Amino acid sequence: MEAIERRIEKLRAEVRRATASGDRVRARAMRAELREAEHVWDEALAALEEKSATASSAPVSRSGPLLPIREQVHQALTVLGTPAAQRLIIAVHDAFFGSPLAAARLTSLRRDEERSFRAAPYSRPYYLCAALTADLLAPARGLLAVSTWPMERRVIGPLSPRVNYLEAAIRVAESLLRAPEPGPAAQRLLRRFAVNIPGAGDGAKPRDPQRVAAAARAELEVHSGEDRAVRSEAAARARIQLHDAEQLFGSRIRVIPRTGTGA
Amino acid sequence: MSTLTALARAQAVARRIAQPVATVRHVHVSDRPLVLIPLALAGEANAPLAAMVGDEPGSPRLVVVHQPRNRDQRFAFAAALAGIVVGYVEAFRSAVETIPSGQGREPRVRCADAPQVLVPNPAGIGFVRLLGRSTRFRRSYGEYAVDPAVPVLGRWLTFLAERAEYPGSCLLLAATDALALHWASGQSPVEDLNLAALLGWIDPPAGMTGPEAAAAAEDPVLWPPAGPVTDPTFDNEVLAPLIEACARAGDGTGARRRAESALEAAVSAQLTPTWGLMWRGVGLLRALPPGGRVAARWDGDKDAFTRHAEHLRAGGPPQPRRDSAVAAARRLDWMERALASYAVQRALDDPLVLAEYRMTGEAFVGIVTAAEPGPDRRLGQAAQAAPADHRHHGGPSAGRGRRPAAVPGPARAERAGRLRVAIGPAGAGRTGRAAAGRPGRRGGPGAVRRDGPGAHADPGQRSGGGRPGLLHDAVRLLPAVRDVPAARGDAVDARRPAARVRARRRGR
Amino acid sequence: MTTEARLDRIRGAVPPRNHNARTIAALTSNPGCARRAIMDAAGVDKQRLAACAGFPAPFGQSQFAITRGNAFEAQVKANGCAELLRLLREGLGLPIPEVSYDDLEEVAGNTSRELRHARTRSLLARAAASGADAGTLFDHPLLRLAVAGQQVYLEPDLIAFQLHGQFHVVEMKSFAVIDGQADGDKVAAAATQSAVYVLALRELLAGEGYGPDSVSHEAVLVCPENFSNAPVATLVDVRKQLTVLRRQLSRLERIDSLAELLPPGLTFDLMIDEAGVAFRPAAELTEAIRTVPARYVPECLASCEMCYFCRDEARGTTAALGRDVRDDLGAVETVSAVLGLADGTLTPADEQAEAAAMLQAAARLRRETPGGAA
Repeated sequence: MEAIERRIEKLRAEVRRATASGDRVRARAMRAELREAEHVWDEALAALEEKSATASSAPVSRSGPLLPIREQVHQALTVLGTPAAQRLIIAVHDAFFGSPLAAARLTSLRRDEERSFRAAPYSRPYYLCAALTADLLAPARGLLAVSTWPMERRVIGPLSPRVNYLEAAIRVAESLLRAPEPGPAAQRLLRRFAVNIPGAGDGAKPRDPQRVAAAARAELEVHSGEDRAVRSEAAARARIQLHDAEQLFGSRIRVIPRTGTGA
Repeated sequence: MSTLTALARAQAVARRIAQPVATVRHVHVSDRPLVLIPLALAGEANAPLAAMVGDEPGSPRLVVVHQPRNRDQRFAFAAALAGIVVGYVEAFRSAVETIPSGQGREPRVRCADAPQVLVPNPAGIGFVRLLGRSTRFRRSYGEYAVDPAVPVLGRWLTFLAERAEYPGSCLLLAATDALALHWASGQSPVEDLNLAALLGWIDPPAGMTGPEAAAAAEDPVLWPPAGPVTDPTFDNEVLAPLIEACARAGDGTGARRRAESALEAAVSAQLTPTWGLMWRGVGLLRALPPGGRVAARWDGDKDAFTRHAEHLRAGGPPQPRRDSAVAAARRLDWMERALASYAVQRALDDPLVLAEYRMTGEAFVGIVTAAEPGPDRRLGQAAQAAPADHRHHGGPSAGRGRRPAAVPGPARAERAGRLRVAIGPAGAGRTGRAAAGRPGRRGGPGAVRRDGPGAHADPGQRSGGGRPGLLHDAVRLLPAVRDVPAARGDAVDARRPAARVRARRRGR
Repeated sequence: MTTEARLDRIRGAVPPRNHNARTIAALTSNPGCARRAIMDAAGVDKQRLAACAGFPAPFGQSQFAITRGNAFEAQVKANGCAELLRLLREGLGLPIPEVSYDDLEEVAGNTSRELRHARTRSLLARAAASGADAGTLFDHPLLRLAVAGQQVYLEPDLIAFQLHGQFHVVEMKSFAVIDGQADGDKVAAAATQSAVYVLALRELLAGEGYGPDSVSHEAVLVCPENFSNAPVATLVDVRKQLTVLRRQLSRLERIDSLAELLPPGLTFDLMIDEAGVAFRPAAELTEAIRTVPARYVPECLASCEMCYFCRDEARGTTAALGRDVRDDLGAVETVSAVLGLADGTLTPADEQAEAAAMLQAAARLRRETPGGAA
C-alpha cells in the first residue's frame, strides 16, 4: 500500500507541474496514469474495508433502501403533487420516508425512464417523466414529474415554478399534520418553505404547519388564475401536436412555438 | 515609502540580497512564541482545512479536518485547536509581576509575560479574525452545541486579531510584516507577501543569490504557499481525490483510517516547509538587537492581555459583532495616535528609521543654541532661525549650496521649557499646518509638520488634531535636561538625551 | 492589411479565446499596456503563450471554489428562485404578483448561442414593452457585447425585471458578507462584472428602441451571509465601473492605431500540431512578444497570465519594484540609474534633478548611519 501511495504522490507532483506549465498533453497523460494508480489504491482500500467489515459489526446507520430508486422518487413526488427538482425530491424523501436518496442516482433517471418507455410503451404502471415548458413544449430543465398526472399538471408556465412551490408547501404542511411524529428533517423542510413565503411565520420555532399552509394559499390566490390559463392552453396544444413519448418527455427535435400570442 | 527605502530596494537588486532598513528590532519576539499556520478550503468564508501549530520548532502539531464541509467536523477542529492555543495562551496568566507605584499610581499587578502568536502573512491574521468571529458566539448547549472550549478560543482569537490592528502591538504578528519592517528586498511589496520568497531575499541558502532563492520559492510544488489559501493545482489533483476517498469509506473502517492518514500526510507536506520558514524568520529577528522602546510597547501588550484575561475570568461577554458609533470613533482616534506614536518611537530607537524622517523634513538635526526655562513644556512655536551649525543637516534643501556659518558654543538649558534650535538657513523652525495628504518636500527642513510622522500612513487617514510629532515628543521625553551635549551636533536628535533620561528614570 | 487580418495573423491558426464578463472586466486593469491590449483584442490564449515562452502563469481555479459557487447559485435559484424572490421582495419591494420565471438556458434542448440570444432578445423586448406581466426573472439569459470588433456572448447569472419598469442585473457570488461587510476587492470585481452585463443589456434594449434608463445602474449582489449558506442581497452602484469600462472598450476599438505600428508579419502562433503539442521555439516567440511593448507592474501578478514573462523582461526597472518606488522616483526608470544618481556617477537629466538630490541625500544618510549598509 505504501508503494502505491508513494507512486501516487510522485504522479501528483508531475500532474501539477504539467498543469501549471500549460502542457496539456503531458498533463493528460500523467493524469491518466494517476487515475489508474488511484484506482488501484481505491481497490486496495475497498479490500481493507471488506476485511474489517466482516470483523466489526455492520456500520450501516440506517436500514438500507428496500425499494428501487424510481419507487422512492415516485413516493416523494406523490407527496409533493407537482413537478419538482432533484433537491426537493431528496429533501421530501428524507423528511417523510426516512432514508436519504443519493443525488447521483437521480441524474440519469429521466433518460433511463424515457428509454424504457420507448422500448415498451405503457408497460409499467407509471413512468417518471419530464415537465414541459408551456411556450416550446420542451422538457423543463431539472424537473421530474409522474406520467399518470394530467397534462395540465405536467406543463410549466412562467408562473408555475412559484405556484408549484406554494402547492408543495401546502402538501408538506398537511403531511406534517398527519404524521404521528415528524422528525427534525421534516421540521427543517417546513422551515425552509416558511422562510420564503410571506406571512408564514415570524421565526417562531417550530413552525406551525397550519400557518404555513394558510400563507401559501393566500399567495397562491394571486397567481393561480393566470397560471391555470397558461397551463390549460399549453396542455391542449401538447395533446394535439405531440405524440405519446413527446407528451411525456418533451419535444426536442422540432421547436413548436406559440402561434399568434405574444410578441 | 521614502526615497531611502526605494534606494534600499535598488541596492538589494544590485547586490542580490535584501538590505537592512532598520538597525534594531522593532518588534518583540517572545522566548516562546506560538507559530500557527492555518489552511482553509477554497471558496468558503472560513472553512478550516488544517493547521500546524506549536511553540517549539521541533514539535509541530497538526490538526486536520477530513470533511471540511461538514459543520460538526469544523467545530471538532476548533475544539482541537482550542486545546493547543487556549492552553498556550492561558498558561501566561499564572505568572504575575508587580508594577511599582509611581506618579501617583497605586502599585498594580499584571501578567509577567504575554502570549505571542505568529502567522505567516496578513491573510493569516484575517483567518484568525474570521475563525474568532465564527466561534466566539457559539454555545455549548442547545441545538447546535459545540465543545465549551470553542467559544473560549473564539474570544481569544478575536482579542488577538483586534490587538493586531493596534500599531506597535506584537501579540499577533504576521511574519512577512515583521520581516519587511527590517529588510528591503529587491522585489515589490506585493511579492514580499510570499514568505518563502521574502526569506529567500533576506537569507538565501548557500550557493544561491537572493533573487534565485526567491524565484525557486515561487514554485508551489517545491514551496507550497504559506496559506491560508492553498494552491489550486494542489486542491484539484491532491486534495479533492483524498477528501473524496475519506467520504466514500465507511465510518470506523480501516479504509477510512487509511484515507484519513493519506490526507493528513498530504496536508502535512504542504505545511511543513512553511513551518521551517517561520522559525527561520524568528531566528533572523531574534538576531537583531531590540530597540529601546520595544519593551515598553510589550508592556502595553501585557496590560491588554491582563485586562482581557480578567474580563474573561469575570465572565464578561464576547466582543460585539460591530462597534457602536461611539466605540468606533474612539477606536479610530486611538489608532491614529498609536500610529503616530509608534512611528515616532521607531524613529527615536533607530537612526536608520530617523533618517527617513530627516529625508522628508519631518525631523531635523541641529544644535541647541539656547534654551529658555519655563513651565511651558510644549514646544508650541519651535525655535527661530539662527545661523546654523557646521554640520550637515538632514533634508535635501539644507544641503543645497548654502553652507551656514558656524556658531560656536554649547547650549545649556536649565529646564527645557523651550529649546531654541538652530537648524538651517531661512525658514527654520516654523510650525504650520502642512498641506493635507502627503508631506511635500517643501517647507524646509525645519518645518515641524503638524501632521507629524503619522503622515506616513495612508493619506486617507486623517491626522489626529495637531500632534507636532517628532519634535514634540522628543521634547516631552526631556522633562529636565540638565545639560545638553556640547557642540557635537545632533543635540535635537533627541534619542540620546532621551535615552539618558530614561536611564535616569530606571534608576540605573 | 486590415486590423482584423492583422490581429488574426498575430493570433495564429487557432480560434479566438472566448471572452466572458470576467475577462472583459480584467481589460479595465492596466489599460496602458499595449501588449495586453493587442493580445486581448486578438483573442490570444495568454496562458498557453506564456507557458510556451517559458514562463507558465500561476493561475488556476480550485474546484472547491467552483463547486461552492455553483452550489450557492443553485440554492438561490431553486424552486423558481424562491430565496431570491424573498430577498427581492423584502429588500427591494418587489410586489407579490411578480413571480414569473423564464429559463433561457436552452431552447428546446438546443444550446446554440444565436438561438438563445434571439430568444433572450424577444422575451426581454416583450417584457420591456408590456410592463408588469411580461416576466420578472430571466434565468441564464444570453447577452451580447461588442468588444474590439468581436461580438462576445455573455451570460449573467440572472436578470430581474421589476418595479419602476427597470431591469436589474443580479449576480450571485459565493464570497461571504460578514456582519454587513465583505472583502472590498471581491465586491469591486463583482461590481465590474455586473457593469459588463449592464452594458450588454443596455445594448440589447437599445437595439429594440429603449434608452439606457431601462436598465438600472444598480446591480443586485447576492452573497452568503456570515458563515451559513443563507443568502443576503445588496444593491451595488456600478456607475463608476460603467464609465471605466466604456472608456476601455472604446480604447480597444481604436486598436487599429496600435496594430498599425506593429510589423506586418508579427505572429504569436504557437505552431500546435494535431497532438496538441506546441512547436514554436521559445526564443523566437519571446522576440515576437517583445516587439509589442508592455507596461509591467506588480499588480499584473494577480490579473494577467503573461505576468511572469513581463516581470522577467522588467527586471532592473523601478516599475518592477512597485508603485511606491515608482511614485517616489518618478523620472528614474532603472535600478542602475537609481544607483548611479545616488552615488553621483550619473549626471541627472533635467527632470531627474530633484530625484537625484533626494537619492544622494538618502545614500549619504544610509552610509552615515551606524548599522545601515553603505
